[in-house]
Amino acid sequence: MNRTLTTFSTIVLVLIAVAVLGDAYTQYVVNLVITFAVISIGLNIVLGFSGLLSFAHSAFVGVGAYATAIMMSSLGMPYLFALPAAGLFTAFIGVLVGLPAVRVKGLYLALVTIACLYFFEWTFIHWDPVTNGTDGMVMPDISVFGIPLFDDLQKTYVLFPVAVLMYWVATRLMSSRLGRSFVMVRDAELAAQTCGINIMKARTLAFATSAFYAGVGGGMFAATVSFIDPHSFGLLQMIMLFGMVLIGGISSLVGSLIGAVTLTVLPEFLREFQGAQEVLYGLLMIIFIIYMPNGIAGLLRSKGLIQPTSLGGRKPSVSVPCHKLLGFRFLSTEALYARLRRQK
Amino acid sequence: MDLPFYIAVGVSNGTLYALMALGLVLLYKTQNFVPFVNGEFFTAGAFAAFSVYNIFAMPYWAALCVAVLCGAAIGYLCERAVIRPLANSHHLSLVMVTVGASIFLQGLARMKWGDDIYTLPPIAADFTVRFAGVPIAAQNLIIVAAAIVLVGALFLFFTYTTMGKQVRAVSQNLIGAQLIGINPNTVYRTTWIISGVLGAVAGMLAAPLTLLYPNMGSEVLIKGFAAAILGGLTSIPGALIGGLAIGISEMLIAGYISTVFIKISAFIIIMIVLLIKPEGIFGSKAAGRV
Amino acid sequence: MSEPMLSVENLSVSFGGLVALDKVSFNVEPGQIHGIIGPNGAGKSTLFNAISGLVPSAGRVCLAGLDVTGLPPHARPGHGIMRTFQSLQLVASMTVLENILVGVVGRRNAGDRFRKEMKNPFSSANERENLEEAYEIAEVLGLTRLIYKTVDLLTFKEQRFVEIGRALISRPKLVMLDEPAAGLAGPEIDELRDLLLQLQEQKGFAMLLVEHVMSLVKQVCRTVTVLEYGAVIADGPAAEVLSNPRVIKAYLGEEGYA
Repeated sequence: MNRTLTTFSTIVLVLIAVAVLGDAYTQYVVNLVITFAVISIGLNIVLGFSGLLSFAHSAFVGVGAYATAIMMSSLGMPYLFALPAAGLFTAFIGVLVGLPAVRVKGLYLALVTIACLYFFEWTFIHWDPVTNGTDGMVMPDISVFGIPLFDDLQKTYVLFPVAVLMYWVATRLMSSRLGRSFVMVRDAELAAQTCGINIMKARTLAFATSAFYAGVGGGMFAATVSFIDPHSFGLLQMIMLFGMVLIGGISSLVGSLIGAVTLTVLPEFLREFQGAQEVLYGLLMIIFIIYMPNGIAGLLRSKGLIQPTSLGGRKPSVSVPCHKLLGFRFLSTEALYARLRRQK
Repeated sequence: MDLPFYIAVGVSNGTLYALMALGLVLLYKTQNFVPFVNGEFFTAGAFAAFSVYNIFAMPYWAALCVAVLCGAAIGYLCERAVIRPLANSHHLSLVMVTVGASIFLQGLARMKWGDDIYTLPPIAADFTVRFAGVPIAAQNLIIVAAAIVLVGALFLFFTYTTMGKQVRAVSQNLIGAQLIGINPNTVYRTTWIISGVLGAVAGMLAAPLTLLYPNMGSEVLIKGFAAAILGGLTSIPGALIGGLAIGISEMLIAGYISTVFIKISAFIIIMIVLLIKPEGIFGSKAAGRV
Repeated sequence: MSEPMLSVENLSVSFGGLVALDKVSFNVEPGQIHGIIGPNGAGKSTLFNAISGLVPSAGRVCLAGLDVTGLPPHARPGHGIMRTFQSLQLVASMTVLENILVGVVGRRNAGDRFRKEMKNPFSSANERENLEEAYEIAEVLGLTRLIYKTVDLLTFKEQRFVEIGRALISRPKLVMLDEPAAGLAGPEIDELRDLLLQLQEQKGFAMLLVEHVMSLVKQVCRTVTVLEYGAVIADGPAAEVLSNPRVIKAYLGEEGYA
C-alpha cells in the first residue's frame, strides 16, 4: 500500500501545484482531470474489476450532471449535498439498467449498453421539460459553506477532496468482500456460485457502484464546465473514457487516475488540430491493447513504483514511509499481523 | 396512400443496413466477436464516392470501383494490423481494439474533411420511376439492385469457391477446420476484406442520398447491429431480413408517429430483442444467456 | 443414530437423450469421508455438479435433513456445502489470502451475518477477523510463506490446497472434493492424505471425495460408492466395495488395487 500511496501522493501534489501556479485555463484542465479521474475509477470498477463491457457509463455521467444541476436549481440543494444525492440517483438508474442487462452474455451486454447510451443521449436531447433539450442547462452558481465559488481554482479546492475521498472509498471497496466477489465473478464464475456469490446480484451491484461514481463525476463535470450540453455524453466520450481506463491500466485504481491525467492533458496540446485528438486516442488505444495490455500501471508495476490494487490480502510494503513525511501513520497490515500474533 | 412510399424508402434504407449487418454477422461467425469498426467502412465508401465524383469528376461506376478498393484495403489493414496480433485474446480486447481503430479512422477523416457537412449531387439527376403508382427515386432502385447483385455474388462465392468453403468451415468449427489444414488467418483476411467491401459499397450507395460527415458511420453501425441482432448474429439470411425489417419499421414509425423517433427505434429494438430473445429470430441458441 | 449429513435420493441427470446419472442414491454420515469412484465417464463430475446445483436434475438432495434440491447454486454454501473443482477455479491475479477470503461469502449463520452486515459490511474489524481466520487456515495448509503471493506463482499442489482453503473458511458441514489428487505426484498425494485426515479429526466435517487414485481412497475413505455409466453398482464400507469383483471388472481388470 505504501508504494502506491507514494505515487498517488506525488500525482496529487503535482496536480495541486500545477493548479495553484497555473493560469485559469490550466486550472480548468486540472479540474477536468480530477473529474475524469473519478469517472474513470467508476468505469474501472465495472469494466476492469467486474469484466462487464458497459457502454452506458457515459450516459450515467450525463444523468449525474443533469441531476446535480436540477437538484440545485429546483430543490435548492447546496452543491455538496447535490453531489452525493446525484450519485445515489445515478446508482439507482444503474440498477435499473443493470438488472436486465447483466442477464446476457458479455458481447450482448455491450450491445444492450450501447443501445442504452444512445437512448439516454436521445433523452437528454429531446426531453425539453427536464433537460432543456438542445439549449443545454446552465449550472447554478456553487457555494460551499456559504462561500460562493467564482473561479476555477476555488473549484479545484472543493473538487480535490471529493476526488481523494472517492478514490479512498474505491480502495476500501475493492479490498473488501465486495471487490473480491466482483473479481471472482469475472474470472471464475462457476466457482463463484458454489462459494455463495449470487452472480446477478454481484454484477448489478457493480453497475450500481460504477454508476454512483459516474453520477458524482457527472456532478463534478457540471461544476467544471458550468454548462451542460446534451451532446457531451455520447459514444465519442464513452470511447475516450474507455481509452483512459485501458491506457491507465485496467484493474488498477491508480491506473485510472494516471489514465485520466494522461488522456485529459495530452489531447489539450492537440486542440487546434482537427481530428488529431481522435487519431491520438485511437492510436494509443490500439497500441496499448496489443502491446501493453496492463496499461501504464502495468509499466509502473514492473518498475516497482506501484502495487496491484489490493483485494484485501496484499503484502504490506516497507519502502518509503511517507507517513513520516505527512506526519501521521496508517496502521500497516504487517503491524496488524504482528499484533494479532502476539495476542494469541 | 403514403404507405407504399414509406415501404419503398424503408426497403432501400433497410438494404443498406442489411449490407452492414451482413459484414458484422460474417465477422461474428468466423471470429466470435462483434467488431465496432465497420461504420468506418461505410464512411470510407461514402467519402470515396464523394472524392471521385467531385474531385476527379469521374462517372459513378468509377466511384464504385474506388469504394470497393477502399473498403477492401481498410478491411485488410484492420485485420492485419489490429486483429491479427490479438488472435487469441479475450473477446473484450478484440472489441476494444476495434473501438480504438474506429476512433482512429474517424480522426483521420476529420483531419482530412473537418467538421463540415458535404453532399453529393444526385447521381441520376432526380430521375424517378413510377412503381405501382409510387414515385421512387432512381437511387433507391440502384441501391436495391446493387445489393441484390452483391449478395448474389457472395452467395456464389461461399457456395462454389474454395475460399468461400474455407470460410464456412471456419465459421462452423474452427478447430476442425484447422485440423484439415485451413489457415484461419487467410480466412480472417478474406472475411475482413469482404466486410470492408460490404460497408464501403453501402456507403457509396448511400452517398447521393445523405449528408456526409466524418461521424456518419456510427449511426449506420448501430442500425447494422440492430439488424444483425434482430435476425440473429449467427444467421446470414437473418441479417438481411433484419436489415429490411429495421429499415421499413423506421420509415413507418417516422411516417405515422413522428420523425423524432427514427433514431431511437433501432436502439429500442436492440434492447427488446436482447432482453427477450438474444438469439434473434433466426440465430442459434448457443449465443445469448449467461 | 443421527441423520446423514448428505442424502442423495434417486438423483438423475440427462443431457438431451444421454443419461448421465441414473437414480443415484447414497448417504454421507456426519464426520465421515465418503468416496465416489468409477471408470471415466461414469458420471462422477456430473454427480458433483448436480449436488452443487449447477446442472438441472431430478431426485432429491438433502443436507443435514434439509431439502436443498431446488436451491440455486449460490444458496447452497449457506447451508454448509462447499466444493472444489478438478480444473482449478482460482483467480490467478489474486493472492492466496484473497482467494481463500472469497470463501467467506458462503458462511452459514445467516442471521449472524445479517446483523454483522447491517453494522458495517466493510468494517475493518470484520475484515481483520476474516484475515486472521484465513491466515490460520493457510497455516494448517502449510501455505504460510506463500500467503501474499499471487496464485499463478504457486505449484499445482499449492493451488489445490488454496482451493481447499477457500472451502474451509466458510466453515462447512460438508466439503466436496473433485479429484483433488489429480496431477499430484506421490509425496504430494501423501501430503493431501495427511491434510484430509487431519481436517476430519480436528474440524469434524464430512467429506465427499471423487477420486481415481485408489491408494488415497483406501487410506482416507470409510465408505465408498461406485458409479458405472451413471448408475450405482456398489455402495458400502471401503474394504468391501474395493474387493467387490464387479467393481474390479468395471475398472477393466485393474486387479492390483483389490
